Amino acid sequence: MSALLQSSCSGFEAHPYDVNIKGATGINARQTAAIEKAFADKDELRIAFISDTHLWIGDARDQVDDVNRRNVDFVVHCGDLTDTATEKEFEWSRDVLMGLNCPFVALIGNHDFLGTGNQTYEVMYGPCDFSFIAGRVKFICLNTNATEYDYLAAVPNFDFMEKQFTSDTDRFDRTIVVMHAAPYSDQFNNNVCKAFRRYLDFAPGLMCCIYGHDHNDTISDIYGDGLMFYAIDCAKHRNYRIMTITKEGYELEQIHY
Amino acid sequence: MNWSRFIISMVMPACSLHVMAGGSLDTEQSKFEQRLERRQNAWLSLIPTHFVIQNAGNMGTLSAGIGWSYGKGRKWETELLAGFIPRHDSSRPKVTTTLKGNFIPWKIDFSMISASIPDDRWKFEPLTASLYINTVYGHEFWKSQPGRYPDGYYDFMSTKFRLNIALGERIELKIPESKRRRHSRVALFYELSTCDLYVRSMFQSSSVKLKDIIGLSIGLKFHTL
Repeated sequence: MSALLQSSCSGFEAHPYDVNIKGATGINARQTAAIEKAFADKDELRIAFISDTHLWIGDARDQVDDVNRRNVDFVVHCGDLTDTATEKEFEWSRDVLMGLNCPFVALIGNHDFLGTGNQTYEVMYGPCDFSFIAGRVKFICLNTNATEYDYLAAVPNFDFMEKQFTSDTDRFDRTIVVMHAAPYSDQFNNNVCKAFRRYLDFAPGLMCCIYGHDHNDTISDIYGDGLMFYAIDCAKHRNYRIMTITKEGYELEQIHY
Repeated sequence: MNWSRFIISMVMPACSLHVMAGGSLDTEQSKFEQRLERRQNAWLSLIPTHFVIQNAGNMGTLSAGIGWSYGKGRKWETELLAGFIPRHDSSRPKVTTTLKGNFIPWKIDFSMISASIPDDRWKFEPLTASLYINTVYGHEFWKSQPGRYPDGYYDFMSTKFRLNIALGERIELKIPESKRRRHSRVALFYELSTCDLYVRSMFQSSSVKLKDIIGLSIGLKFHTL
């Protein structure tokens, strides 16, 4: 009887927001270490940017299968790993991403904050702001979900940005900024949109910005000054982007699967 | 309410016994006495009929509370539980409360199933159906989306309240009157439960299977009435 029960259910469930995480934690730190070790000085990089898994788990699984066939160096998930940030959903999307045959990191999206979601994210993935270097390019991953904090927190965190622009400068020449919600979106602290753009001027060799959240594939020059913002579509729309970085520049290819 | 009537019907014979023991033929009560009795009976009906303790079930690692069984054949129960969620990897432990309604359509005497159990001491309840609302306390959780969000942003949910459903079974032991100390009956039960968010996730994604969203819960009930 108990064996039957064990196989027909997921065990004792204390609460959807109990932050009692089973399986892998501290993913971003481990994966960025792997990325830095393998690709720190690589001349050419192929990176898949995916985003907004929510509860489209079947589509996300197909996406992972597609990425696995395209010989990318690593994957960056631009946030919204979940829809309602329950610990179960975090485990589901993590288990899908674990199917990747290359390293991956994941940003936090606004949906991942619901309930105790941000605490689950921090245990499962790590700090909400993080960075790593690959192919002498620094990838600065920023938490821009200011609405989730009612604009009371340092989001975007300018001190963190400054530290990233000025540290390890001998190891990188160019910068890519990744975020979940772009400036002027319903999550960004829009009081600091222009200040944020000014701050980005301190980023060494800033190439472009990449974001999720909008569930579309827009490419736009948000500030009208030549800095390009590339939106990564949601899993439901079954497309994502692969970025190829060479010494000369970068190219983005939209992949439909 | 059904259950208050049930309690009253239990108390009434006791009262009449008392009157008969007094040997008085004058059974007519004054208006005051009638009112007093009605009021006392109303308050008596608030005495819980059982205590319950159970684990998991999306209402805490461990929950305990009081309950009232009522209705014809005691097929209905209402329970009020307080649950505890340990800190785990979060910033602090949490407390929850649950209001739970149970429906128990059948009670089967073991003696009817097997001749080797001659008396009616054991009862089997092959189905319990429950609906319960759980509230988790803490500033992280809101009843409906706070004003900082645009209209309709997270309108589909509350992070504070969870609606749960459960199906289960029970076995109940009637304690022989000579051996009763605090309780008249003790029941062991299990429940398979899930909550609104998980059911929603199954509708959103076909790759979420029923077994992914069903949780097991085990508990005990101690009947005092």
